[in-house]
Amino acid sequence: MMNSRNKKHVKHTKWQNIVIIFILLFMIVSALPNLYSDKLTVNLVNNNSQAEQVSAQEINTLLAKNNLAIDEIRTSASTTSITLSNEADQKAIEKLLSAELSDSFSIESVTENTAPTWLKMLHGQPIKLGLDLSGGVLFVLDVDTERALFDKLTGIALDVKTLAIDSRIRLSKVAQPDNHSIVINFSSAKQLSEGTLLSEIKKTYPELSQNKLDDNQVVLTYSEKEQVLFRQETMTQTLKTMRGRIEELGITEAVTQKQGKNRIRIELPGVHDPEEAKRIIGATASLDFYQLAENSKAAGIIQMTDKNGQRLRMNSQVVFSGSHIKNARSGVGKMGMPLVNLTLDDVGGKQMSNFSKKNIGKPMVTVFSEFYRDVNDVMVKKSKVINVATIQQHLGAQFSITNMSSPQEAQELALLLRAGSLTAPVTIVEQRSIEATLGADNIDNGIKALSIGIGITLVFMFVWYRSLGLIANVALALNLVSLLGLMSLLPGTVLTLPGIAGLVLTVGMAVDTNVLIFERIKEELKRGRKVLSAIEYGYNNAFSTILDANITTMITGIILYAIGYGAVKGFAIILCLGILTSMFTGVFVSKALTNFSIRENKSQLLGVKL
Amino acid sequence: MNNFLLNQTETLSKFRVISLYFAAALVIFSLTGVLSKGLNLGLDFTGGYLTEFTTQESVNKADMETLLTDYLPDTFGLASAENGTHWSVQQADNDISLKGKSWLTDFSQQSGLNITPQDSIYIGSQVGDELIDQGGLALITAVIVILLYLSFRFEWRLAAGSVIALCHDVIVVLGLFAWLGIKFDLTIVASLLAIIGYSLNDSIIVGDKIREIMKRNSGASIENIVNLAIKSTIVRTLITSGTTLATILAIWIFAGESLSGFAISLFTGILIGTFSSITISATVPQLIGLSADYYNKQEEEVCALP
Repeated sequence: MMNSRNKKHVKHTKWQNIVIIFILLFMIVSALPNLYSDKLTVNLVNNNSQAEQVSAQEINTLLAKNNLAIDEIRTSASTTSITLSNEADQKAIEKLLSAELSDSFSIESVTENTAPTWLKMLHGQPIKLGLDLSGGVLFVLDVDTERALFDKLTGIALDVKTLAIDSRIRLSKVAQPDNHSIVINFSSAKQLSEGTLLSEIKKTYPELSQNKLDDNQVVLTYSEKEQVLFRQETMTQTLKTMRGRIEELGITEAVTQKQGKNRIRIELPGVHDPEEAKRIIGATASLDFYQLAENSKAAGIIQMTDKNGQRLRMNSQVVFSGSHIKNARSGVGKMGMPLVNLTLDDVGGKQMSNFSKKNIGKPMVTVFSEFYRDVNDVMVKKSKVINVATIQQHLGAQFSITNMSSPQEAQELALLLRAGSLTAPVTIVEQRSIEATLGADNIDNGIKALSIGIGITLVFMFVWYRSLGLIANVALALNLVSLLGLMSLLPGTVLTLPGIAGLVLTVGMAVDTNVLIFERIKEELKRGRKVLSAIEYGYNNAFSTILDANITTMITGIILYAIGYGAVKGFAIILCLGILTSMFTGVFVSKALTNFSIRENKSQLLGVKL
Repeated sequence: MNNFLLNQTETLSKFRVISLYFAAALVIFSLTGVLSKGLNLGLDFTGGYLTEFTTQESVNKADMETLLTDYLPDTFGLASAENGTHWSVQQADNDISLKGKSWLTDFSQQSGLNITPQDSIYIGSQVGDELIDQGGLALITAVIVILLYLSFRFEWRLAAGSVIALCHDVIVVLGLFAWLGIKFDLTIVASLLAIIGYSLNDSIIVGDKIREIMKRNSGASIENIVNLAIKSTIVRTLITSGTTLATILAIWIFAGESLSGFAISLFTGILIGTFSSITISATVPQLIGLSADYYNKQEEEVCALP
């Protein structure tokens, strides 16, 4: 009876050990990529096979003359690869090389990890560094969704006027008392009661609810739900546009995410000049296409002046807005005139098709609007006519804006159209630019603090608990490796400077698990248990206390993660993951290690003589 | 031997009661600081501009201040570190500050000081206001959730003891920041939450022990139970706090200027937390009437621990 139970127990431990070893191996492999760093390589590719290959010495002397350090130059038949030792030199080296050698070589830069091939095959990624460690630029944008809603309602109010004229109804006034409602005053109660206009409005804007105020007054409102929906859509649209713009800037590692209700956080690692990025990101420009008004008496007309001072009268209703543009490229037309080729999405394509079929030979106006804050900190919209172009034929999802005055203008317009337009004005409420050198210093300091922290802890544990302390130390090392592995595995975890502090803190706290267990074992030994049974009892009984103590820290960690941003979030992640890994290594791994190293009842353990 | 043990227990009881008065005095002292002097809120909460740069040679602070006055239109705050080679300039978020935006480029070109820019931050003032709300909300949420968890897991008097202890810890750290005028920024809020976590950690270990002893209790008084629990956990508490404090000291000394506030907060928080877990979280339940045979009476109702 006794024997069979023992066997079962052994089997169970074996199975458990295999799982533990498997998890640890997995974590170690995941943590490995962190040992290797990214290196930037500039490749010179021979354009012309006849041209002579430039020698490594030549490049080296050229770079050395300009005080640019490199790690390695490799030449093959067609390419020369230069591995940089300092990423910040990329621009300078590229500029130098293109000035000297661009005739026969094309220059391209690639970032490569120096990890061995087998590790790359496993698709392991090193931990992403936060801005405070990598250097770069941070923007937090405030999206004025209220203003966007107000603008949308202004558009609807103008539309209502046009609809009224179309259905021959006289309105005395259309007012916009706040940003989610429109009040329509009919000139007589009879016209209201006929209801033709109201049903027409219902058809065009089903999301607006209609309420009769009195005999000749109706109020159109966006319900609370619709307002929320509109704000969410505006945020999604703005996020999309921002991502598009950053892509246009050629920044691939950028993090663009929503922060809170109406903020967007943009992190651009490796960017050193915030002004360039700011110009494109902060441009609160939007593009709209209008039709020139034929009938000068029609209601809902916008008047604008173009570059030549000519007055234009346009139908207030937008044919379509820049948000429907999928792609835009500048080019040259048949007559050598610069133009912009546009590709629209499905919705825009349909709108354009309907509109152009009816309006061949008529002009269409492109209007560029921009928001800025005036002296009194009030958001002001400024619009200008970019061009007036004639619709040549029935257009679909692809067409061109001709009549551009210069190739430069065509290029700029194409870029802005590609990047997408914004429906809501944005302002930068937070900006930070961290130099790469500060980031490197932060990493060095962090690693120094970490190694000293670990050193003290390891020495203390060994001195205090001797053989069991050694086990705790192995568990501690495995804890650190597991934590690094877990962080590399989980997408969205970023290592920041407070994160490194969290790492150091985790090391200090991780021994707690083992201290609790060892003190428990000591207590059991003092009560007269044999070594093996005291160990078994100690591990099993300390677990509920360990769980209780860790759960509360976990709760605070999760709250911190939920409300914090950036560096603080980085701290919270490590705090939470550190609790998980320290419980795993402190309880399960160290128990397996203890069982492995202490197999028989000794006469002395933890200073307690038996 | 028995007599000696009894004496020791009596001393511990006296120590606990005296410490409780001391803790109360500390809280009052800290609150006075927070209310009279207020916290020296950092850029995260006030909004504004912060520019950090280094100079190759060390410069006298007064000299730097006169040098900068020519370039900065508005009033500014200046702080130096690392023997006058690391500088940070703080300006308010308003139009005047905005006008002198390119001052650092001009300054580094004209002063001949060999200046390297390190970090430049702009935070809008509305962001700061929101952060104050968010930070406060986070602290309060943390306390409430923990109170709920503890009352579910422990007897309510033990839970109350732990929560009073953690409030004490947070208030004392806030008081320290107010009295010494150390910059209070977002990382400090993060450290306060970490302190809450760790302070509870200690309190829970003691609470767990009290519960355990109460369960196998054979007629000892509540005072003796509490003293016994403290004595059998004191080694563990001191070791864990010791290693944690050592690692925080490493952060404080080596991790650089930007984490020093964070390290100061954690260091004092954990030091105070260790003290309060012994004196407050174990003593308060006894004072508000935790009875020694609570767990024996409730045996059938309370779930046994695994």
